Amino acid sequence: MKKVTAFVATVFSLIVVFPIFYSISASFFTYTDFTSIPARLLPSRPTLENYYRAFKESNLEQFLANSLVTASLGTALRMVISILAAYTFSFFTFKGRDVLFVLIVATMLLPSDALLLANYSTIRSLRLTDTYVGIISTTLLAPTHIFMLRQYFKTVSSEYREAALIEGCSDVRFLTTLLIPISKAVVITLAIHSFSTIFNDYLWPLLVTNKESMRTVQVGLTMLGFSENLDYGPQFAAITLLITPILIAFIAMHKPIQTSVSTRFAGR
Amino acid sequence: MKKKPASLIKPYVLILPALALAVVFAYRPFILTLLNSLHTVSLQGQRLSFVGLENYQRLFANQSFQASLSNTLRFTLYFVPTNLIVCLGAALLSNRKGRLATLNQVFFFLPMAVGLSSSMMILKMMFNPSIGIINQLFNTDIQWFNDKRAAMALLVIAGVYLDIGLNFLLLQAALRNVPSELHEVATIEGANGFQVFRYLQAPLIAPTFVFVLMTNIKDAMLISSPVLILTEGGPFRSTQTLVYQMYLEGFKSGNYAMGSAIATVVFLLTFTVLLLLLHLERRRVYYQ
Repeated sequence: MKKVTAFVATVFSLIVVFPIFYSISASFFTYTDFTSIPARLLPSRPTLENYYRAFKESNLEQFLANSLVTASLGTALRMVISILAAYTFSFFTFKGRDVLFVLIVATMLLPSDALLLANYSTIRSLRLTDTYVGIISTTLLAPTHIFMLRQYFKTVSSEYREAALIEGCSDVRFLTTLLIPISKAVVITLAIHSFSTIFNDYLWPLLVTNKESMRTVQVGLTMLGFSENLDYGPQFAAITLLITPILIAFIAMHKPIQTSVSTRFAGR
Repeated sequence: MKKKPASLIKPYVLILPALALAVVFAYRPFILTLLNSLHTVSLQGQRLSFVGLENYQRLFANQSFQASLSNTLRFTLYFVPTNLIVCLGAALLSNRKGRLATLNQVFFFLPMAVGLSSSMMILKMMFNPSIGIINQLFNTDIQWFNDKRAAMALLVIAGVYLDIGLNFLLLQAALRNVPSELHEVATIEGANGFQVFRYLQAPLIAPTFVFVLMTNIKDAMLISSPVLILTEGGPFRSTQTLVYQMYLEGFKSGNYAMGSAIATVVFLLTFTVLLLLLHLERRRVYYQ
């Protein structure tokens, strides 16, 4: 019975991982490898031609640069905004605190996809289309981050903060030298999550960029022009280049990824 | 202790960025969407005249919208059970110890590392009817992009591929929280695999399962990017979904009023699901 389970699980998991495997393998195919009969799973003679062409015949590096800039900038701003809000909601008492907190967190109920049209007209009237600010604008508010950080910060006794303030420590110093370091695990998890969300975003960057030079890699990848001509090699090469670093990171960090999900849910 | 005015303003200043973003990119567009759906709107996005529910009447009489609504609901109906069975199956099958089990687990969540547009492009090429690997491997001639049923099936496969990583991780984490002593005792007492699942694992992972189920329904109702990359709504609008049509009306036809009316329908649908989720979460039963 155990062996059967293991066998079924393995076959199943190979099917799931097949598209990734095939994409990497096909990035080394020659043009005729795609049409050879019987179908090929591995290249006949591995070639780097596709990688060369993926770079030479497209603006892949420009797209990648745009994505890295927007994802880094977006993550940094998003974390600062979230931490400040969560900090304030956990340690300050002020009029309307609970109402304002609910107001911010309730934006979770408004799916961003349904807000696309109206948000686009906002960005257009602010003349922010084709800018980095326009691309990251709608991702800067992360109600789930604010909620989770506040949950975490609340476990820290407010006496620490009071003692620190009496000693003449500023809010900024308290945050940077005490609160953030002791919340390191949560902050890093959320930052990684933010980065991958913004980096992988597709529809919004598609809408707010018209100039080719401003496209993010997720958008650019679908418009390289190779796959339309059934010229799959360079397309697979571009995809492989993009996903390999992330795949390596996921494989290397598979333990922390698995446990972070379970602790996140245990703490819910 | 009397507070200085500066420290009274301070908390408001600190939450101002978040608050401003909530107003500018959530509440204001939400209200604008509702308003636009009740007006005629110019190509530049200016509201012209109030028309009441006329846009909605036109919308519900519109064949394209009827197709979108029915496709979205059908997609949800096919996708949600398929995805739950696949993800729960993966979690149960790999809930073992040892190196092979770890390898299985890593393979199951690895699709998460591949972004949406990369994975959709991979599937698009793999499922190409003439030179794609899928038809070649199975020696079939399925017209994945020209046959209505095949295109819908492809969209379901795409949806599962996008969700399996995270959903697997969530369900697997829930399964691992089932105390292994209980599992051992049950096995010693002679419970078979099905009984262990039915009476021990199922009740304990129920909260996570409900969460996954509800987010699946919500995501299914909002599906648009895979449609945009894979099928562009075709063939014959058979995979045109609500958010995809909203995108078409708003950005391709410049019909903001119609687009806003569709967006409002989407709000209503997702609100219903989210309220149901909140309700179920509140009633959630804890076993520990």
